[in-house]
Amino acid sequence: MIEEALDYIAEVKDAVKRFLAPEGGAITALDGISLEIQQSQFVTLLGPSGCGKTTLLRAISGFEELDSGEVRIGGELVTGVPPYRRPVNTVFQNYALFPHLSVSGNIGYGLEVAGVPRKERDRRVGEALERVGLAGFDLRKPAQLSGGQQQRVALARAIINQPKLLLLDEPLSALDRNLRQSMQLELKSLQHDLGICFLFVTHDQEEALTMSDQVIVLNQGQIEQIGPPEAHYHQPATRFVAEFIGDGTLFSGEIQNTIENPILVTKDGLSIAVGVGPKVGDKATLIIRPEQLNIAPENPDDSMVILDAVLEQSVFQGATRRYVCQLANGTSISAAPTESGDQAFSRVKPGEPVRLAYRRSAPHVIIET
Amino acid sequence: MKHPWLKRLLSVHGLLFLFFVYAPIIIVVVYSFNSHPVNMMVWKDFTLDWYFSIFGFPTKLTEQTLYVESTDQLVSALKNSLLVAASTTTFATIVGTTTALAVYRHHFRLKPFYQGLLYMPMVMPDIVLGIALLVFFVNFSIKLGLMSIMIGHCTFLISYVFVVVSARLAGMDDTLEQASADLGAKPWTTFRRVTLPQILPGIVGGALLAFIISMDDLVITYFIAGVDSTTLPVFIYGMLRRGVKPEINAIATLMLAFSFVIASLGLYFRKRS
Amino acid sequence: MIGKRESRRLAALLIPGTLFLGIFFMGPLAVMIVFSFLEPGLYGGVEWNFYHLNYGRILGWADAEWEKFDPVYAEIFFRSVRLALTNVAITLLICYPAALWVSGLTTRWRTIVVFLITLPFFVSLVVRLFCWVLILRPSGFLNSTLLGLGLISEPIDIIYTETAVLIGMAYILLPFMFLPLYASIEKLDHSLVEASSDLGASPYQTFLRVILPMTLPGIAAGAVLVFIPSLGNFIVPDLLGGAKVLMIGNLVEQQFLSARNWPFGSALSVMIMLVMLLLIIFFLRRIGRSEIVK
Repeated sequence: MIEEALDYIAEVKDAVKRFLAPEGGAITALDGISLEIQQSQFVTLLGPSGCGKTTLLRAISGFEELDSGEVRIGGELVTGVPPYRRPVNTVFQNYALFPHLSVSGNIGYGLEVAGVPRKERDRRVGEALERVGLAGFDLRKPAQLSGGQQQRVALARAIINQPKLLLLDEPLSALDRNLRQSMQLELKSLQHDLGICFLFVTHDQEEALTMSDQVIVLNQGQIEQIGPPEAHYHQPATRFVAEFIGDGTLFSGEIQNTIENPILVTKDGLSIAVGVGPKVGDKATLIIRPEQLNIAPENPDDSMVILDAVLEQSVFQGATRRYVCQLANGTSISAAPTESGDQAFSRVKPGEPVRLAYRRSAPHVIIET
Repeated sequence: MKHPWLKRLLSVHGLLFLFFVYAPIIIVVVYSFNSHPVNMMVWKDFTLDWYFSIFGFPTKLTEQTLYVESTDQLVSALKNSLLVAASTTTFATIVGTTTALAVYRHHFRLKPFYQGLLYMPMVMPDIVLGIALLVFFVNFSIKLGLMSIMIGHCTFLISYVFVVVSARLAGMDDTLEQASADLGAKPWTTFRRVTLPQILPGIVGGALLAFIISMDDLVITYFIAGVDSTTLPVFIYGMLRRGVKPEINAIATLMLAFSFVIASLGLYFRKRS
Repeated sequence: MIGKRESRRLAALLIPGTLFLGIFFMGPLAVMIVFSFLEPGLYGGVEWNFYHLNYGRILGWADAEWEKFDPVYAEIFFRSVRLALTNVAITLLICYPAALWVSGLTTRWRTIVVFLITLPFFVSLVVRLFCWVLILRPSGFLNSTLLGLGLISEPIDIIYTETAVLIGMAYILLPFMFLPLYASIEKLDHSLVEASSDLGASPYQTFLRVILPMTLPGIAAGAVLVFIPSLGNFIVPDLLGGAKVLMIGNLVEQQFLSARNWPFGSALSVMIMLVMLLLIIFFLRRIGRSEIVK
């Protein structure tokens, strides 16, 4: 038991946190969340704003006390332990760099308050500066740095204490798109080099998919799904995850039996064949990703499912083109075919009928319990 | 803008506005160097005699200057003013700052009450506070003198310091303090290393403001000053009530210069914050 | 939620201010209110009996032998309110265009001009009023200049009139109107003004429909900040108004320093405080706390 517990760098058990809403009444930020975070992993808390992800982060860093439930860091219960005694460090959303201290003053702050001697401190600050690519910037004030540089200082400051767990609260949200993408890769490789666990909060699903070993999707204070990013994309556990991560068209309905394959019948009467798995009578949601759709070949084989639609418009997206079509019942569905499929599409003009096809086994089916 | 005449009209008004603000001051400064012994508003010659006379130096003009003998009173009033301002500023700065830290860095139920309580002395008309203090001191047999003036000044100076410091605290990013705690600093270290440097310009600005207001207070001091504890504004007010003498020009000019220096310092600190 | 340590820290920070203001601010106000309900002694001082005729003398129910209702007090009170309101109007009319002008300057000039306008605020009140005594008195700068230029043949009487009092009050209280006005005009999103004129509004319409409503909080804050010190002022009427333009403040001062009727003076003072409190409460209800603070 003990050995198993030590495998986890952080554990959260039945965490509940409610806030008083300004208008009166309570908002449940955390509604009985339990999770374990393993060593040396890049874990992302993903969810829309107000889902409780920041509250969870602050419960771990010690800025919020839970109403009930417990948090363990490195196997130790930290209830009532103030933030300054917790072996975790945070990269704040707005960086929270001390404006009156220089870059090296900021980075060395944690060592200084811990009483590390000056020589040792200077050496480690130098290393940290080197690591985040800011060597030579040590005497600047935060206000003299660009957003990306401030971000790096915040990062260097947070890792210099060698925390067991680094918490990052939407640290990239203030950066522009290009910088954000390169920082994503840098963060990932930094985590790999340091070998400490990163717990990263974001509402940006693309960011979560790019960087994480594990993604935890939160919604309304509850966990929707925990797993590697691929699982969230290809096998979403809930309708919420399917909608939140990636594009796609969702069809909900009841599975009905036919001779060969199960068929999903939606409320508005659309019948769609699904792969094996769901049983008759199941309430299920089928999710068709755009890249799973193509124009039906002349002689479709048995494994293909055909959908009749009308092409509405085609949208240029750089690497691919997206074709927005409308099914007979009015549902809008998008296709983003590969290069060869794209040629077939390009012959169809907006307003013309089009036969869409996908492999029966490709789309994921969520069975609701 | 599309209407240049409108802009021009506003500019003219703005310049007149500045004229209205500064003309009276300039007139006093200029005529403080006027040597006309009878009508101080009729320019005769340049002289520094009025300045000499208030400091008790011998001058050519003797009989018409009734205040030569009151130099001692003037100096003692100035001393009182400086003493009161220095001590009340120190006290009010400490108490105002600690109260601001309590109200803006903690959550407690009485918070709105405290915010209200601390704005009250600022909006209370001077005369009301002045006579309330007078009635209070006399009723409890507290001797009117420098001590009563200091207590009286502190009642409203605390509020001014509180407001300036709490504006600074409210404007300060509170994640800075969280970041400090997150990096392992204990509350006192966080206060010393992060909070204090951040609010220092506010504290200095508040102190300067308190100093100026204390130096300048007339109405409240007027009611609670004892016989032998006059401050500079009360002394000048008394002089003015008895009649306008040319020395007042010189004293006013010196006070103007003093206020301008302090105010410039204060605004400099506020700009920096 | 609050830990033991934190509540101890909070208490240590709060106690000095609470004690001081509790004793030396709330205390005096309470004593003053008590005094206003006591009987004035024959030779100054007070008799510790409940007595409501101090208010009766002002508000109209006193008809005892010594203490009769006298409408002159109400007259002075209303004159004070009228002068204070007039002063609010004057400072508003002077400051609003000036604030508009300043907000239209380049950043550098704006800083300089705001500094110049704020500066006299730090100059002693007596000194600033003295300037006007010099200018307005019969042999003062105004009369000397006008006589010298031959525009008038004999000195005009301007000091010891309501006009003089209004000039003096407007002069010393200008910054209290200017700064809140300027703050709210400065905050105004300039694109809204542009949007309005883009939609075809004339400058006059833009001012009336966009700028004025959006700067209303600043106007209200300035009005309160000017009204309160105007109402109870006794220095300005004393130096520039003389005996002819008595205001409520002068009346209070007389009760304390010459008539020695402290209970009556306290009652007058409580009346000033009530007007002020009503105004503040009304203001807080309508505009909110944040504007006063600035």
